[in-house]
Amino acid sequence: MFDSWAIPDAVQFPGATCFSLGPEFSVRCLSIDSQWLDGLANILIEGNSTLRKRSASDLARVLGIVGSRFLEEGDPLRAKALELLPRASGLSVPMARAVLDGMAADWVEDRLSELLSNEFGTSDVLDGFVQQNGCRTMAIGADLCVQIVAGSVPGVGVTALIRSLLTKASTLLKPGRGDVVLPVLFTKALAVIDPDLAEAVAVLYWSGGSSDLESAVLSRADVVTTYGGDESVQGIRALTPVTKRFVPYHHRVSVGVIGSYALTSELVEDTARDVARAVAVFDQRGCVSPRSIYVEASGDVTPRAFAGYLASALEVLEQDLPGGCLELEEMAALQQVRGAAELIASSDSAVEIYHGGRASWTVIFDPDAELECHHAGRMLRVEPIVNRSDLAKRLGPDRAHLQSVGVAGLGAELEVLAEELGRMGVSRVARFSELPFPPPSWHHDGGNPLRDLVHWVDLEDEGD
Amino acid sequence: MTDKSSTARPPIERIPEEIEVLASELESLFSQGLELRWGDEEFEELALRAFEAQFQHNPVYRRFCERRGTVPATVLSWRNVPMVPTTAFRHLDLVTGDHSAVEAVFRTSGTTSSTTAPGRHLASRLSLYRASLLSTFRAHLLPDVEKIKFVSLIPSPTALPHSSLSYMVSTAAETMSSETYWLVDGNGVLDSARLRKVLGELALQGEEILLLGTVFAFVHWLDELGGEELPDLAPGSRIMETGGFKGRTRDITKEELYNSLSATVGLAPNRIVNEYGMTELFSQLYESNLTQLHETRVGHTPPPWLRARALNPTTLEPVGEQEKGLLAFFDLANLGSVCHVLTEDVGRVIGGRVYLEGRFAGAEPRGCSRTMDELMASRRIAGR
Repeated sequence: MFDSWAIPDAVQFPGATCFSLGPEFSVRCLSIDSQWLDGLANILIEGNSTLRKRSASDLARVLGIVGSRFLEEGDPLRAKALELLPRASGLSVPMARAVLDGMAADWVEDRLSELLSNEFGTSDVLDGFVQQNGCRTMAIGADLCVQIVAGSVPGVGVTALIRSLLTKASTLLKPGRGDVVLPVLFTKALAVIDPDLAEAVAVLYWSGGSSDLESAVLSRADVVTTYGGDESVQGIRALTPVTKRFVPYHHRVSVGVIGSYALTSELVEDTARDVARAVAVFDQRGCVSPRSIYVEASGDVTPRAFAGYLASALEVLEQDLPGGCLELEEMAALQQVRGAAELIASSDSAVEIYHGGRASWTVIFDPDAELECHHAGRMLRVEPIVNRSDLAKRLGPDRAHLQSVGVAGLGAELEVLAEELGRMGVSRVARFSELPFPPPSWHHDGGNPLRDLVHWVDLEDEGD
Repeated sequence: MTDKSSTARPPIERIPEEIEVLASELESLFSQGLELRWGDEEFEELALRAFEAQFQHNPVYRRFCERRGTVPATVLSWRNVPMVPTTAFRHLDLVTGDHSAVEAVFRTSGTTSSTTAPGRHLASRLSLYRASLLSTFRAHLLPDVEKIKFVSLIPSPTALPHSSLSYMVSTAAETMSSETYWLVDGNGVLDSARLRKVLGELALQGEEILLLGTVFAFVHWLDELGGEELPDLAPGSRIMETGGFKGRTRDITKEELYNSLSATVGLAPNRIVNEYGMTELFSQLYESNLTQLHETRVGHTPPPWLRARALNPTTLEPVGEQEKGLLAFFDLANLGSVCHVLTEDVGRVIGGRVYLEGRFAGAEPRGCSRTMDELMASRRIAGR
């Protein structure tokens, strides 16, 4: 039984009950109420006085030490994570390993220092006043940052936790249902090497949508970040007092665009392989996972034929990165989409479908975007495009939610296209091979991963 | 039965008498009510004839079957007849036979995402739909009285001409109601003042009634009443509720709704009957404590012309009786479209009865993308 929390020693243990987080994963959850959470908030805020005495670069060092243990073969922390992740997240064993490697690569000291300097120029600005832009200025982290993760791609919780700790914010993290393991393991390991720092961190899971509990912590936070579907984020936003800084990461979709240069007979298989891998990582549950691929119709290989290449590539990937377990509702949706696509393909439409049978991958060539492809396994829709305005039209309905765009073979068009995509809300255009794991300093959903968590105080000259 | 050795098919355009013959045969069987026991062989024979007809006279379905290498000659059981997912009704008009014979169009609710068209079910054999719904409605809701007053929180077919639920209630009302009060308009607005007045008067007169509504409408009404109790309805009264328990209304358990309804109108909870149906199926299932007394969960009983199975969601093979699976139905009342339908609903099928399953308790969806909750909210309620 896994204990779904890591809390400061000073906190009184409130008792715990068993809770099932999935068919093969049960945890103990703390039996908490609003009053207990209020007490926890007091302790975390108290702990902030220690945290703020540390230099940001020192925090990067300590967090990096813990983070790098998740990458070290033979380290018991990594072993524990790899043991628990498949059951906790529903990912297959090889996929869990790939996800951990990809996520934890950004949790090491070098990457964290790089993140600090990318965000702030110098991390000294978190430690005291620094001369910038004609005045002296300092970035102040929250006394308490509350992070509520409603989605649950493994690793998102640790990344979120690291970000706020780098800004010297005491942090209360509620991880997503499939992401309980990593932040708990991370925080417990942190407590061993740096007990003072750990007094400012709490990770605990409770069953979602409990507005009493959420209100209790939100009212104590200075900064609130939340990750999840639109309704979840909207719910947290509604509970958050207006005076708090609110950083929402709502529902996002990612797509891919394939230009004719990547559709030559020499390159097409490599292109398909890279796209397939970007789809497969996280079993397509990530907001960075492409859902639709738009293929230029002018290439040597037609969009319809490219759908076939993608199908083969996804089938091959089942060897290296097999799909994980789907939940019943996802399987239900999968059967619906596949059956409907087959029927449409049997009518006069140009729709074509390929799928992996018991393997969850499905590719639907859907020139008129007839089908709504719900999230269900590795499900990819392929649509042909004739030019950029055609692409813009097809992306229109998703405009409010666009995030990453994987690209291949666009040549000189790329920069113009990237700007157009940016105007549509896209915050990242990248090669398919890079798509699943953005660099730490990526402007996450168009914002600043660390700067969005601090407020600035400017000190002007006193004068004479 | 079909001639399994024959590979020659009559041309598509010739609508043979076979469908007409089968339709009249079924209509007559449906009209005999639920008392009639159907043996497996009898169902099998009718089901295979229905498949043959649909294969011959529904070209899209035929190509769908052929894609899967399934033709009537190779199908020895209705269980192997290719299933059409309910989602397909959003994309295609699955009419068997001549489109000009379509008598009515029933629409499903759309989803929360505005991009999706609502589904629709074209009825080219309305007489079969009528015969099926009348017999089941009678058996489960009015087994003991000829006629009763209907108080409906489901809009009338004039208000919602494409709702199969409205059609069902009004069709039943034509023969089984002594008077019908329609108290919700086409926008879903409840005339609560009139409802209060009607219920008050009928209670005073000691008049037995059938109160009908969706979970959504009942919850809305109960919230409006804020715990106020109304005069007790006459003891022979009954309530039909339908629709899911999650989605467009505040979360409520079935038990909470039943207790609250029961207290409000002074009827025992076992006078409340749940109807389970969908636009894509012309037959309905009922969970009735009026006819099956004092069991804790009696399950939904299908009429004899509908068979239900719970299927493994990956393989679509049947699961064991105690296991839950995706529900699939073979409904002979769907002769005019497609009989074998795969739903997204989850349940167990024990002794032919369907036990619907709620979602995994406390489940939050996986993934940082659009949540399953948001999808689920759109799926199971009201708009039939």
